[in-house]
Amino acid sequence: MSIVEETRRALLVLFPELAAVEEEARAAAQAEAEIQAAEEAAAAEKDENEMDALLAERDAVRLDAESAKQSVAADEDNLEAAEQEDPAAEKKEKEPEEEGPRENGIVLTDHASRGTDIDVFCDPDQVVAAAGIMDEAGFFLEAITGVDWIKEDKLEVIYDYNQYGQEQCRVVVRTFVSRTEPEIPTIMDVMPSADWHERETHDFYGIRFTGHPNLIPILLPEDADFHPLLKDFTP
Amino acid sequence: MSVPVQCRHDETFVLNLGPQHPATHGVLRVKLTMDGEYIVKAEPVLGYIHRMHEKMAEDGNFAQFMPNTARMDYLHALAYNHGYCLAVERAAGIEVPERAEYIRVITVEMNRLTSHLLWWAAFLLDLGGFSPLLYAFDDREQILDLLERITGSRLTYCYFRFGGVYNDIDDEFIAGTYAFIKRLRSRLPRLYHDLVTGNIILIKRLKGIGMLSKEQARRYGCTGPVARGSGINYDVRKNEPYSVYPEFDFDVPVYNECDSMARYMVRMDEIEQSMRIIEQALDKLPDGPVRAKVPKILKPAAGDYWASVETARGNLGHRLVCDGKKNPYKLKLRSPTFSNLSCFGEVAEGMLLADALAFMGSLDLVIPEIDR
Amino acid sequence: METENVPSSIVQFAQLDKLLNLCRANSLWPMTFGLACCAIEMMCTGGSRFDISRFGAEVFRPSPRQSDVMIVAGTITKKMEPAVKTLYDQMPEPKWVIAMGNCAISGGPFKCKNNYNVVEGADQFLPVDVYIPGCPPRPEALLEGIMTLEEKLTGKRRWPRRQPENIGSLS
Ligand code: SF4
Repeated sequence: MSIVEETRRALLVLFPELAAVEEEARAAAQAEAEIQAAEEAAAAEKDENEMDALLAERDAVRLDAESAKQSVAADEDNLEAAEQEDPAAEKKEKEPEEEGPRENGIVLTDHASRGTDIDVFCDPDQVVAAAGIMDEAGFFLEAITGVDWIKEDKLEVIYDYNQYGQEQCRVVVRTFVSRTEPEIPTIMDVMPSADWHERETHDFYGIRFTGHPNLIPILLPEDADFHPLLKDFTP
Repeated sequence: MSVPVQCRHDETFVLNLGPQHPATHGVLRVKLTMDGEYIVKAEPVLGYIHRMHEKMAEDGNFAQFMPNTARMDYLHALAYNHGYCLAVERAAGIEVPERAEYIRVITVEMNRLTSHLLWWAAFLLDLGGFSPLLYAFDDREQILDLLERITGSRLTYCYFRFGGVYNDIDDEFIAGTYAFIKRLRSRLPRLYHDLVTGNIILIKRLKGIGMLSKEQARRYGCTGPVARGSGINYDVRKNEPYSVYPEFDFDVPVYNECDSMARYMVRMDEIEQSMRIIEQALDKLPDGPVRAKVPKILKPAAGDYWASVETARGNLGHRLVCDGKKNPYKLKLRSPTFSNLSCFGEVAEGMLLADALAFMGSLDLVIPEIDR
Repeated sequence: METENVPSSIVQFAQLDKLLNLCRANSLWPMTFGLACCAIEMMCTGGSRFDISRFGAEVFRPSPRQSDVMIVAGTITKKMEPAVKTLYDQMPEPKWVIAMGNCAISGGPFKCKNNYNVVEGADQFLPVDVYIPGCPPRPEALLEGIMTLEEKLTGKRRWPRRQPENIGSLS
């Protein structure tokens, strides 16, 4: 299993419904595979029966073993196909939504055209859990930033995670907070490097990271009370 | 009658290092709580050279931000050029001709040499050695001459364009570069290593000082030589290959000692690796155009894009958020030293002040890049 | 500019002043004070090729109390401005200021529409004597700036001014 797939599985914990859906899909695929296998087995049995009728009994034992082998192979094939299809289906499902407000979930993105591999969209109170998962998986925090979507009256908070392994896997965790009351829990307890990144985001966008012990301006002057990267900022 | 002086360890005082201090390489300020010569708490204070790059990116169109990129990390300006170009090219789907890619790699690596040479000089100046500065600047000027020949400036290059580079390189540049590499190769072991690296004073000041464990480096998001000095084999050129780097044969120096000496050695080894890359690129340099046809005003499709490059200080990321207009909706700059410095507070605790300065020097700070 | 604040006296020391100024002009002590990119070119000027010590200005002092020229090399931000002012105030008289680079002249590339953090020029709060344009100025330009300051002090130029040979082809 590639690291992208592994991380995706780990992150699924955040979305019980999605995980349930996926689990269901997997179970369904498995059940289907089983049914198919059973059918095949039955068919094989029928074959066997026919053959039985046609051929002498001496071949029965060998054929039995073969059909069993076949059914196992079919089972495996089906499982693999289901697994491969899964993310692709999800991607197709999610991509048109990217322009508008997106629903919670995980999207696999193309590294060559986007520069990221996994795009997670979650509720503001899930970022700490996400950070915990990323920390456990050995990721480091690359950056935290905000984006001011003034037309939708929302602020987006983006967390970028990356890891040191030879295989590429960059994870983006994003969430929306309201523009009037921007508040989000701090992930500083999980990732100490978030300290400065959160202070910087607070400087630029006025997003309050609740639980941050030292949320004072880092790049702006100590007494700054403006948030320059908001789109409606005028000096 | 003399009263014996008592050292009272429950008494601390606050020492302000910077913002104007020769050892902080610019305008970094560190608020130190000291117990005698020992640091109890170190708290870097940033923002003395915050120059609004991210705001300026939103105000102009894509091409207008190009000159700013060189002014963030002025020691490795071409890598910033490269990172920004990669982000915009990824967003707009621009293909770069092969010759241009080779020229990019050559110039970026030469710029990396100047950066490491200057770091070497300034680091040793911090430690109290003046003459290395004269040697390093002598070599650095040679590279600057070559780069000035094709880019037109000495420090704040604005040489890359979307879809290529501004100028083609000529035979004199190629010959000059070969000659320079030969010269630096001959000087490196004698002047740099014999004179400085093996020096007992340097070793005593760096060995075992500023221990940054592998786990700490990860939790603080350290990249570049700082991470590689802590045993992390991470180099964006290898882990996330961009441009034509996969075509070259080079090593990523990794040291497991986790101390300042390890970081010093990583950079010294990187000088050699950069020279290898330049040589291979010059040998293989293909013919062809150096600039693709690109519309003057770019309007990439909406969405967000990330591009990372390896600068002399680590992983530089650009997050570009586009909304289909002719200016970036948002440009986030992930500067490597910002993360690298954030471990300073934890590591410097309990250190001697003089050692903390050696540690700070080994982080290779460029303050305008931290503050952006 | 005669910055020395001598209490007015009947006895004038014109000749002595001249002599003193000649001495000062030939041994300027700049302050090691780099703000941004321009500081690297200032280091280059002190480095091996350009060798600022040919002009007697190589003694870069880290302390403002020991220096008499402040080379403002780089961008001054709102957060840094009070510190720069303090440094200037700490320098003993007579003292001079060189604004090196476009940032120190006018805010340079950072004088933009939504400027919220950059001071647009050192002369907004310091008396600047010499302006050196460029982004960054070449080391030669800094040397020329130092010679201009000398000229300002002594009233005459120590080194003859030479026109570049191929100036015609440039224009
Ligand atoms: S004038 Fe240019 S080179 Fe000098 S500090 Fe300003 S931006 Fe940097």
